[in-house]
Amino acid sequence: MSSTGSSDDRPLRRTAMRVVPIVAVLAVAVVLMYPVALWLGLPLARLRMENLANWLVNTTAAHPLREAPAAGTTGAPAGARLTFGAFEELVATEDAAPVRDVERLVLVRGGEPVAATFTLDGEGLVLQSAVEGPLLQWGDLLEGPLDAGHVFRFSDPAALGSALFLNGSLLEAGAVDSVERADGVNREFTFSHGAGPVIVAGELLVEGVGFEVDGNRVVLGRAPPFNAPVRRISRDYAVLDAAAGTIALAQPSAQAPQAASAVLALAELLLGGVNGSNRTFQLQHTPLVENDPARRLVLNGQELSATAERPQERVDGERASFTFAGTRGVVTVNGAELTEGRDYSRAGNVVTFVRPPARNAQLRQYQDYLVSDPASGTVTLAVAPVPGDKLWAASYTYYDRPECGATPLECFFTMPQHPMPFPHWIAQRIGPFLTAYPFADSRNVVRATIYTAAGTLLALLLGGLVGVLLAVVFVAVRPAERALLPWVIASQTVPIIALVPVLLLLLGNVGVTVQTSLVPATLIGAYIAFFPVAVGTVTGLRSVDPLALDLMKSYAASPLEVFWKVRFPAAVPFFFTSLKLGTAAALVGALVAETESNNRYGLGYAIVGQVQAGNVSDVWILLIISALLGIGLVALVGVAQRVLAPWEFR
Amino acid sequence: MSAAPPIIEVAGVGKRFVVGKAEAVALQDADLTIADGQFVSLIGPSGCGKTTLMRLIADLIEPTEGSISVAGKTPRQARQDREYGYVFQAPALYEWRSVLANVMLPLEIMGVPKAERKARAVTLLAMVGLESFHRSYPWQLSGGMQQRVSIARALAMEPKILLMDEPFGALDEITRETMNFELLRLWQETRKTVVFVTHSIAEAVFLSSHIVVMTARPGRIREVIEVDLPYPRDAETRESERFFELTTRVREALRVGQAAANAGGGASSGAAAAIPKSAAD
Repeated sequence: MSSTGSSDDRPLRRTAMRVVPIVAVLAVAVVLMYPVALWLGLPLARLRMENLANWLVNTTAAHPLREAPAAGTTGAPAGARLTFGAFEELVATEDAAPVRDVERLVLVRGGEPVAATFTLDGEGLVLQSAVEGPLLQWGDLLEGPLDAGHVFRFSDPAALGSALFLNGSLLEAGAVDSVERADGVNREFTFSHGAGPVIVAGELLVEGVGFEVDGNRVVLGRAPPFNAPVRRISRDYAVLDAAAGTIALAQPSAQAPQAASAVLALAELLLGGVNGSNRTFQLQHTPLVENDPARRLVLNGQELSATAERPQERVDGERASFTFAGTRGVVTVNGAELTEGRDYSRAGNVVTFVRPPARNAQLRQYQDYLVSDPASGTVTLAVAPVPGDKLWAASYTYYDRPECGATPLECFFTMPQHPMPFPHWIAQRIGPFLTAYPFADSRNVVRATIYTAAGTLLALLLGGLVGVLLAVVFVAVRPAERALLPWVIASQTVPIIALVPVLLLLLGNVGVTVQTSLVPATLIGAYIAFFPVAVGTVTGLRSVDPLALDLMKSYAASPLEVFWKVRFPAAVPFFFTSLKLGTAAALVGALVAETESNNRYGLGYAIVGQVQAGNVSDVWILLIISALLGIGLVALVGVAQRVLAPWEFR
Repeated sequence: MSAAPPIIEVAGVGKRFVVGKAEAVALQDADLTIADGQFVSLIGPSGCGKTTLMRLIADLIEPTEGSISVAGKTPRQARQDREYGYVFQAPALYEWRSVLANVMLPLEIMGVPKAERKARAVTLLAMVGLESFHRSYPWQLSGGMQQRVSIARALAMEPKILLMDEPFGALDEITRETMNFELLRLWQETRKTVVFVTHSIAEAVFLSSHIVVMTARPGRIREVIEVDLPYPRDAETRESERFFELTTRVREALRVGQAAANAGGGASSGAAAAIPKSAAD
């Protein structure tokens, strides 16, 4: 009977014309998500990159000889070439003038500088003057191999940390932690670098036996226990168990390595100029890690102490004289260095300030030195070195580079969670997320969706019924509308977030287990849906053509007949339209009720859980599911409308 | 008016509406007697009270003065006894009922059993020429067809009287003429009394046995003109000399009557106020 002409001949084209615009909008939205994701994520990635807490730290130490001299060799003549471990770390590659490098490095042995002049080239050091004395002292051979050839043990665990040589070559220690934490379930771990065996909680795993390798990713045979440290050897060896004194070699060896002490090493000098009055120096690798137990600065052969002494007396804001343990040192108030003579005077270990420090100020005396600025690596000494002194670093820790990558873009892609993920990442997550649990498990997302849908449908039924009854009362009983309508409207303005806990309390008292029941979702959803239904149905009941009412009057129909035969059918389309309006809001209400009642069977619980876990892609998937659920429910109401009120659709 | 017994008697009837603070006189001093079996048209300009008079007869509103008797009863009694069928300007069919169900509606209210309801509705639809449209819905029919359903429905209760308020007003001229033939045919078959409100002089002359000329401001009955054209009437009747004379006479009556009303009606109370079209009781 419809007269739409030619488009009927090609129903496929008509469907396409309806569907294509919707799909086009979706496609545009998806495409736009990429630049928006970058726009939102890059600043976060940049922040992450700049945050020192995310940087890889490196402890640099004086680097021992790489090639051990043959036994019996003492000293090295002028012109000899020496190579040192991790040489490239010491020698700056940007400004390669050898003279400058020489001023930054010093030869040390056994904790003391060695008087020697040398020049540097790209590979090593060439002595200009001879070095007297043995270049190293051999120690014990390590015990082992304790397994197939990787694990060896110091006979004295306290010797752990001394230089190790194998077949005359220096072994360098290095291990890198995994990016992921061990959660007891995960078996896959990634490492930023390193290619050796993996150490899990003090146990060595060798490739092929304990794990499989795929680039930077390893798949372990067994999941490590919760919070177990997972490391990968990145250099020649790593410490396996410090208490037992065991180490693990990256490459297996039948021979045991040998410890050596007093090995000739190349160490960093502190920069700043030794002139007898300068007390401020800089370390070469910055920024420094502030609380660094590995920091050892040495003046000639004397290790400097970084301890900060506190005064015996309380800083109460009025007192000006304080007693310290030592008789010299850098005095700081709240981290700022004060000048002797100008800000304070000293008499032995008593310091008298010109102005009393403020109440509860931090008063410290640093006996030897303090790190005045970790960012620039600045160190202030208590006593200025005199010309001829060598101020060098035996070891210290610094922030080497950002862990996530070299550029913000790299860090963007390695971010575990993005404020807005790329659409294809979300798409990739759909499969694993939906099938993470079997359908029978209440944690399965599809099951939760069905549960919430059921709750919402019940809510719509209940809300629809209540709305219609209320509408009938309003139309049939004149004063009822005047009396009740303001209260009905007021009921809708109470935020459901406040209402739900009260309702849950009531239900709990009546004996309903809210955590596993559909009742809260049904009641709250009905509460939200009944209002539009009531208002819409009232309009519908009153929308009757006056002629139709005259007609019924001319039939001498009773009021009840008028209601059932005329008013009620006229109101049905209005009912469905207003029910559609209430559907989306009822769904939200059901979700809120589920969330606040902690109902683990529902979608609200899943959403909150994923939000708290920070799985952004999964949250997006859940949002999409919720939206589709809303669309589906509205469509369902529309289908009901088509079936029960077909006359609206001509 | 004629030898047949009167079926509708209107005596001294007046109707006033209160619109805000003003009062509008829709009808004043109406006297009319309609005999059984007549086809009476009410014709006049807007505001002459013809629809008001119909609604008074149908007990959809009550007179402020005077009395009406329908089939020997008060209008209220006549309505409750379902003595008339009303056909409105608009078909007023219920969208959610099929054509057949719409015709069955008055029978449902009368309590007629289902089988008989259906049989009567089928017959009625056949009578108006819509026998193949039982299952159709109102929106699937044209205006003329919908109005025919409306007429069939009005006949469902087999009333003595048919009250029709400009039933063909919304239709085009050609359909209207067809409907006029149909209506006359029905009337001949069923011999009911028809009171017919119209704007169209030609329609009034063609259909009626008597024409009641009314004037506006205030609404009054001016004259009753007898139409002596023989039944059955057909296309030839429309072109006859007598037809033309009668339409001229009606037109004159309207014009002269209205001029007289305007001249003498200036003092009528509340004449200038508009009467609400669908003023309820």
